[in-house]
Amino acid sequence: MASLNRRTFLKSSAATAVMVVAVSNTPHLIAQEAPTTGMVSPCLKLNSDGQITLCVPIPDMGQGMETTAAQMIADELNVDLKDVEVELMPFLGRTNDEGRAVFGRFYQGGGGSGSTMRIYHEVRRTAAYARTVLLEAAARNWQVPRHRLNAENGNITDPVTGRFIPFTALIEAAQSVGDEVKPNTIDPKPVSEHTVIGKSTKNVQGKAIVTGQPIFGIDAEIPDMLHAVIRRCPHLNGSLARYEDRRARRVPGVIEIKTLDRIPVDKTAYRSVSAGVAVIAETYWAARKAADLLEIDWHGSISVDDDTELLRSKCLAALDNGEFTTSIEGGDLATALADADQIVEATYFHPHWAHTCIEPHSCIADVKADQAEIWVSHQFMDSAINAVNSAVGISPSNVKANFYRMGTGFGRKFEEDYVMEAALLSRAVGRAVKVTWSREDEMEQDYVNSLGAYRLRASIDSDGDVTGWHIRAAADTVPAIITREYPARLIDNYRGEFHQVPNGVSRGAWRGPHHNVAGWVIQSFLDEIATASGKDRLQSLLEVYSKKEVLKSANWPFRDTFFERYRTVLQKAADESEFGKSMPEGWGQGIAVHHTFVSVCAHVVDVEMQGERDYRVHRVTSAIDCGLVVNPLGVRAQVESGIMDGLCAAKYGKWVLEKGLVTTNNFDSYQKMRIDEAPANVDVHILDFGDAEPRGTGEVSLPPVIPALTNAIFAASGKRIRSLPISEHL
Amino acid sequence: MAVSFTINGSQRTFDGDEEMPLLWHLREEAGLKGTKFGCGIGQCGACTVHIDGEAVRSCSVPMGTISGASITTIEGLADGDNLHPVQEAWLEEDVPQCGYCQAGQIMATVAFLKETPDPTDEDINNGITNLCRCGTYYRIRRAIKRAAENMATA
Repeated sequence: MASLNRRTFLKSSAATAVMVVAVSNTPHLIAQEAPTTGMVSPCLKLNSDGQITLCVPIPDMGQGMETTAAQMIADELNVDLKDVEVELMPFLGRTNDEGRAVFGRFYQGGGGSGSTMRIYHEVRRTAAYARTVLLEAAARNWQVPRHRLNAENGNITDPVTGRFIPFTALIEAAQSVGDEVKPNTIDPKPVSEHTVIGKSTKNVQGKAIVTGQPIFGIDAEIPDMLHAVIRRCPHLNGSLARYEDRRARRVPGVIEIKTLDRIPVDKTAYRSVSAGVAVIAETYWAARKAADLLEIDWHGSISVDDDTELLRSKCLAALDNGEFTTSIEGGDLATALADADQIVEATYFHPHWAHTCIEPHSCIADVKADQAEIWVSHQFMDSAINAVNSAVGISPSNVKANFYRMGTGFGRKFEEDYVMEAALLSRAVGRAVKVTWSREDEMEQDYVNSLGAYRLRASIDSDGDVTGWHIRAAADTVPAIITREYPARLIDNYRGEFHQVPNGVSRGAWRGPHHNVAGWVIQSFLDEIATASGKDRLQSLLEVYSKKEVLKSANWPFRDTFFERYRTVLQKAADESEFGKSMPEGWGQGIAVHHTFVSVCAHVVDVEMQGERDYRVHRVTSAIDCGLVVNPLGVRAQVESGIMDGLCAAKYGKWVLEKGLVTTNNFDSYQKMRIDEAPANVDVHILDFGDAEPRGTGEVSLPPVIPALTNAIFAASGKRIRSLPISEHL
Repeated sequence: MAVSFTINGSQRTFDGDEEMPLLWHLREEAGLKGTKFGCGIGQCGACTVHIDGEAVRSCSVPMGTISGASITTIEGLADGDNLHPVQEAWLEEDVPQCGYCQAGQIMATVAFLKETPDPTDEDINNGITNLCRCGTYYRIRRAIKRAAENMATA
């Protein structure tokens, strides 16, 4: 029997990393881990002392994934989340023909605001399977038909006899029925029968968090590990010239000093790992202290043109003189502009933003000759494992990865550098090594949000209707997404064009990539159009989003956009905030809407000017459509979080390069918003369009909050913010 | 020279590098990982603990300066299984998202409420300066007020 072979294989290889992959290939196998513990599908672990553990596939970085996924499992199993533990599944993917780790049955990464929707069906199907196995096991015990039994509160019950048996008493019996219950034949519950999905549920790790339990990657430690602190090349793409380690070596506890080459060696290619000098020591503090005593000269000349001011000038100049690629075009823009009653034109600019993940990156790696193990907080399980493969060539099948909660991710904990460094150093010294980054490392070595400039033109006819739309984007990334965004195609005559300025900046995903600035630029300009045409700002937006009913999005993930939803979220935010009400002198409201990936959100921001150069946000009123809601409390938390992140980036976000060196490398030089600047009133409305599936939330509220803020500042002060950060341009 | 102090009521001695910040003693030597490393320069407050009842940023407190001190960390805040009212308020308001900064936020709040048991919004604005990258400020404010109410009626 195939299943028997699999089980034997699992047992014999239980102590090695191979087990992880073996489970992945048979995700519904019941694995016997120890005599008193059993897995009933990858999502349910039972222990004979009565403990039920729900296992979730995607790591949590604050987006609430552990809670949301646990709700899906709990709903299918009819257990109360109060009575169970929740933990992360191991990686359940496989190694593909190219020798890289890829996802298996479950998507195991957090990004693109897609975690909930990507696992929604598979997690529930897997949990439904586990429930059915338990029902079958009890049915055999009692010799009654399975269909007459129920799963309730961690027990299988028989309503006819009144008997019940706890799930955890069925561990052994479940082992023998697993293959009789066909994994793909059981449908999860319909929406009408949901009891946990749709119910506000608090963070399942709340108690562990408020009592300081060691649940984050940086908290991990293993016996006999060494600590590494790396001094990395401070120039964006430089290399090591020479170093002197005499004083560093005298620090008690220092074991070795190793150099790391830049990966790849070609400095014009995108950077994976920086050149560096690593101190490896018995303790973190010895490594830190010794690293600070290293005297190092770097080659940095290749990066001198990577300079914030220079890049800004280049982007602005490109808007006038650059060669542009047309990304989208329709109608007759030239005629619309020629026939216009009025043409509105404006130029916008934003600098780079850093991630500032609150938990500095860290990773433990223990690399042996042909296998490795890592302990890390990372957004994507496959990427973390592939990082080991990239660094030291070990097949993903032989990499065991232990994942932890992340102290935020925002797209930065998607990168592979910190895992690669740990693997390289562990191989170099032949011991387990923990690499811990400083805050300065985290900001200097960031993969930042892009820097860019935009010129927009719109034609308005004598009725005040927008007839033409033209957007040019010049940035250090390829800024195509913003040029394809609505209202292109809503307005009949349109053109979008983009230009990338050559540069060596490491750019990456930053909460709502591209959308985070697209929302600001487009919604600010639409506010300018409303002002120019003398229209009510809400009405003007509603008119734009009434021009069509459905369009297939020109940007990832290319789904249909239903503009009724734009209008509904706008109207809801306006109604709840009493948008347009009369306010005292120096106060103002701003409104904006943006569709990020697959969900749409509108905000109204109420501000009060504080003199000429500052302001306070008193209230944000939000409406979001994110499909079927698994955890309303969690959706609210994510909307609140995106609001705060957006308000903060808009006001202060400016990561500065001076001739290739990062000069904003800690919270003294890179300012963040604190509680005193956070709005005391945040009013979130989750709209229900009767969808049967969830969509995204984590990044969705951020893009529209920045223009709602700058539009409010305009209403309050008459000042139009066309350059960020606001703190430098008000 | 050895330095003696208490952590969460237990006597400890330290005979290492006096320049080492208290944060790393807590995390690496005392096995108390609840106190978090955030910035290393006293800006973010993730490492907030109490020394003799006052909130301090342990990343900026050298070991050589804590002789005779009574240190409380997040692990020592609850009374056995009974959580501190501030911890309870944090759970009731479902404050934590990622949760990384929350130990520091809670420690800062406990010390703050001792000085300011009935805080206004302005008191909170001036008294709580810890950084939260998830932006849970809105819920932190509510949790502080809830904790103050619960402690007043306790």
